[in-house]
Amino acid sequence: MAIASTPQHSSFLHCGPIAEADSFAVLHLKRDLLIPTVLRAHDELDEGYSEGKVSNTRFGSFPHSTLIGVPWGSQVRASTVDTGSRGRKGWEGKGKKRKRNEESQGQGDTAGVEKKQNAEIENKTAIEATTGFVHLLPPTPEIWTASLPHRTQVVYTPDYSYILHRLRARPGTVLIEAGAGSGSFTHAAARAVYNGFPESGTEVSSTQEPAEKRRGKIWSFEFHEQRAQKLQQEIKEHGLDGVVKLTYRDVCQDGFTPDDTPTSEVKANAIFLDLPAPWLGLKHLNRTNPSSPLSPTTTIHLCTFSPCIEQVQRTINTLRSLGWTEIEMVEIASKRIEVRRERVGLAEEGLRGVNDSPASVDEAVGRLREVEGRSRLFHNEEEEPGGAQVSKQQRLENIRSALEGRKLYKEGRLIHKAEPELKTHTSYLVFAVLPREWSEEDEKLAQGKWPAKVEVKEEKDGPVSKRQRKKDAKAKAGGNKEFEVQESIVH
Amino acid sequence: MDPELVQPNAYIALRLPSDSTMIVQVLPNTTISIGKYGAFQANNVLGRPYHLTFEIRDTVTHDGKAQSGLRVVPAAELYADIKDETPETPPEVEGENSSASGDGVEYEVVGQNGEVVVRTNRQIIDDPNSQIMTMDEIEALKAQSTGSGKELIAKILESHSALDQKTAFALAKYTLRKTKKYLRRFTVLPLDVPTLARWILTDKEPMKIMELRGEILSLIGSWSNVHCTPSISTPSLDGDGMQMKGGRWLVIDETAGLLVAYMAEKMAILHPPGHDEQEAGSNIPSKQKADAVNGDNANGEPTTKDVIAPPLYHPRPRKTSGPATTNTITLIHANAQPNLSLLKYFHFDAFNPSTSHPLESHLKTLSWLQLLSPEDDIGYVEPATASEEVIQSWKSGKRSNHFRKRRRWERIKFIADETRAGKFDGLIVASIMSPVSILQHTVPLLRGAAQVVVYSPTIEPLVELSDCYSTARRTAFVTNPPDPDMMPTEDFPLNPTLLLAPTIQTARSRSWQVLPGRTHPLMTGRGGSEGYVFTATRVLPAKGKVEARGKFKRRKVDGVMTRVSSVQGTPASGDSGTVEMDAS
Ligand SMILES: C[S@@+](CC[C@H](N)C(=O)[O-])C[C@H]1O[C@@H](n2cnc3c(N)ncnc32)[C@H](O)[C@@H]1O
Repeated sequence: MAIASTPQHSSFLHCGPIAEADSFAVLHLKRDLLIPTVLRAHDELDEGYSEGKVSNTRFGSFPHSTLIGVPWGSQVRASTVDTGSRGRKGWEGKGKKRKRNEESQGQGDTAGVEKKQNAEIENKTAIEATTGFVHLLPPTPEIWTASLPHRTQVVYTPDYSYILHRLRARPGTVLIEAGAGSGSFTHAAARAVYNGFPESGTEVSSTQEPAEKRRGKIWSFEFHEQRAQKLQQEIKEHGLDGVVKLTYRDVCQDGFTPDDTPTSEVKANAIFLDLPAPWLGLKHLNRTNPSSPLSPTTTIHLCTFSPCIEQVQRTINTLRSLGWTEIEMVEIASKRIEVRRERVGLAEEGLRGVNDSPASVDEAVGRLREVEGRSRLFHNEEEEPGGAQVSKQQRLENIRSALEGRKLYKEGRLIHKAEPELKTHTSYLVFAVLPREWSEEDEKLAQGKWPAKVEVKEEKDGPVSKRQRKKDAKAKAGGNKEFEVQESIVH
Repeated sequence: MDPELVQPNAYIALRLPSDSTMIVQVLPNTTISIGKYGAFQANNVLGRPYHLTFEIRDTVTHDGKAQSGLRVVPAAELYADIKDETPETPPEVEGENSSASGDGVEYEVVGQNGEVVVRTNRQIIDDPNSQIMTMDEIEALKAQSTGSGKELIAKILESHSALDQKTAFALAKYTLRKTKKYLRRFTVLPLDVPTLARWILTDKEPMKIMELRGEILSLIGSWSNVHCTPSISTPSLDGDGMQMKGGRWLVIDETAGLLVAYMAEKMAILHPPGHDEQEAGSNIPSKQKADAVNGDNANGEPTTKDVIAPPLYHPRPRKTSGPATTNTITLIHANAQPNLSLLKYFHFDAFNPSTSHPLESHLKTLSWLQLLSPEDDIGYVEPATASEEVIQSWKSGKRSNHFRKRRRWERIKFIADETRAGKFDGLIVASIMSPVSILQHTVPLLRGAAQVVVYSPTIEPLVELSDCYSTARRTAFVTNPPDPDMMPTEDFPLNPTLLLAPTIQTARSRSWQVLPGRTHPLMTGRGGSEGYVFTATRVLPAKGKVEARGKFKRRKVDGVMTRVSSVQGTPASGDSGTVEMDAS
């Protein structure tokens, strides 16, 4: 099999101090240019590089032998790698011609390919190149969202952050997600609910942390076969298969309980639906349904994510009719902000990245005087000896040579502005809550446990005066002003 | 103890019809007042699930005494008004709205569409009484009222003389407003960090939490990568607790502990253990189960039975377990003591921590002085030791005082030394101090690939911070590195090679009203500070000079020439005037 045994370890959730072989890593070339790869000591794709597995990037080639064993976060220099056929051991005769376009997206590698049996041929030691570098990073959901292969629209960081916040996704939460799509939300959700792998034996009960908590888990669904397969492969490669259970299924038709799972096992308390018709899925998320995947004893938090207002209206109508409460709809607008230094003025003439028009009225007037003087000279045809007028060429030359001594990073005005392209609409977020069922019987039991007094006493006989009681309550609530409001209705 | 049910002494949030929230502590056998909406007995919500909406009913007992009770309002009832309105929504296709109301609203006048009014307010129309009520009359009515507030609203609507001239649209709005004012309902919510944050921001004291909005809080959570790190091995504290353990976050929190609480919630150390027992039941290894039960027995009773008002978190005699080394939060504070007052809502008192609370061992605090110059802090100085015999000769008071002092010193020393050894997995800052000064001292304490997140209510401090990490400044630094012993210099207040991809961002939610035929964004929202976060990744620069690679193409942007962004972060020539935030 491709990956015989996935250790219960994920560089998403725990990365040790150094990058180890077979861990999932990201090569950071520059902002928004990230290359995910699995670090391999040997050339799993059998591409024939003498250095073993190599990631080729726009900023140079990086044999994995130069990445493995290095502390995470290190800046690593490129190596001189013969990317032609000569540098590849045993390249000819393999019949595996594979043109790898260095500029293309998937430079990383294709995962889960069989390891060559006799991959133990000695790798050549990599030779440092004179230019080029990357930073070696462990993956995070944010990095993954920015670098994953898009197979669908994905949920980006500002949206998923807020959604998980509102869903109360935290260690131990059991969350249903459909459709999984490209898995952007899946990864963030997995981090949020993670509180240990099941039966991993990694958890040694310490005095501070009794491991009695329910395991956080993502029950994820996708009805597009290839997408489901691809995502399953990624989840495995990322070491998250202990947290995420992905099922290939149409949730609108068949509901949210995987075939190989008894219904009673799911017991979700959070739901995220990123589907074209979430209202069709809602009927399965009902406690009256005998095969309900919902936890019977907890509140259920739900979010649907739809781009169109008509979808929202249908979803909310359905939610109301099914007894969901606290229904709210919001949009998230987010933006990145760029910081620059803006240089303006005649002294910048001819330089790049500046505005070389006058910086002030004084400068403008000075310039005008000069022009005026020059034209007067021209008309009077006087030749001034020594030439107080500097030629434009000379002036530009002077400015350029003065550049050497300037500290441009400190000059000009510090400004900020929004990134050039804003996402002005992603989707509408609908939130709702389904409280735990509460029967007459439950209520009777609770009344038995917490008998309410038949009458609300006026405290005349009590040791504590009403004013005192109010004061106490106020102190307890941290001076909450609400307590100062009179109790007007109690008799 | 089931966290899904309201527990005695718990703090809970009550959402009122006006949409405002209040926080109360549910002390058994007390009365909880919710101001003008009335009052109810704590015992009427204890042991009940969260997220139910209750209605206050005043009933009168046989002997003439007033008694207040609660009724759970079913969801169907909450939406009754909305459903009633559905048919009035004009069908999209038919544009035949013969009776235009004249005020530009495309709905029929109520008087001509009797159905609607009659359905919602049947009694009103039939009642001959149609005087406009004065405020006094309303108050008087309220005082007599024994109902839920619905009759009151009906009365008020009825007394509105111009009611029949209102459009359905206006009427709906008017009803909504009156409902908010007089309906005696409330919804019980668990007090978790998102709810607490929202309450302080909108109902209490936004400045106390530096106007930290939920959207921004959630961005901080994601970008800092803060998450739960269950203990992987058994790290012993046998003197060698210094090696890297993972799951350690450094925080500067001047939001009264909101940020610490938020992180703790994501690390599963905010709520004392004992939660979720019912759910977890079957999977628990029996030994741990036994532990859990033992833990509860310390409180004197098993969790499954109910005894009146046991204190939730019982202070126990101090154990000598010492601070945890994994899944921890280390807080640096500017004053002699940290301000973590909001943690009281989670039953944690920083000055007198209960050992049964996970924060007791997982939250470590130290002052900037203890971090930067521990020898100058009195708490770091080792108290005098004495021989066993001498100690035995002391009176018990003096003896325990001696041990208390030593324990305190041991803890301070342990925390200061461990913090100074660094290797933190992330840094989160929400402080009114200059972020540049904070990062000078904290970035070196981070491991490679650690995440850095700095929050500021206003953007200016973050702009200044970003400028310290600009590409141009980094290039200058790399080209002509200053003497490391001279750092920080005026030109380089921070080492610009230590952070990767510095970015400033913000996010804001916009709320909508979604009602049949009346869907639109809400018309007002909170102003004040916008709130921004700066994010970056700690990196370890390679030794020696590193040359970038890339082609220097040029292109015109905004009428000025800039380098095309295919060049790697540190260009070979430093003459470009642009300060690209594109870190390599
Ligand atoms: C927009 S994508 C989800 C993207 C995902 N949230 C992410 O962040 O990457 C929607 C996905 O839902 C899947 N889908 C649509 N209807 C479905 C159904 N009834 N059952 C399961 N999956 C469905 C589609 O195949 C598609 O991949």
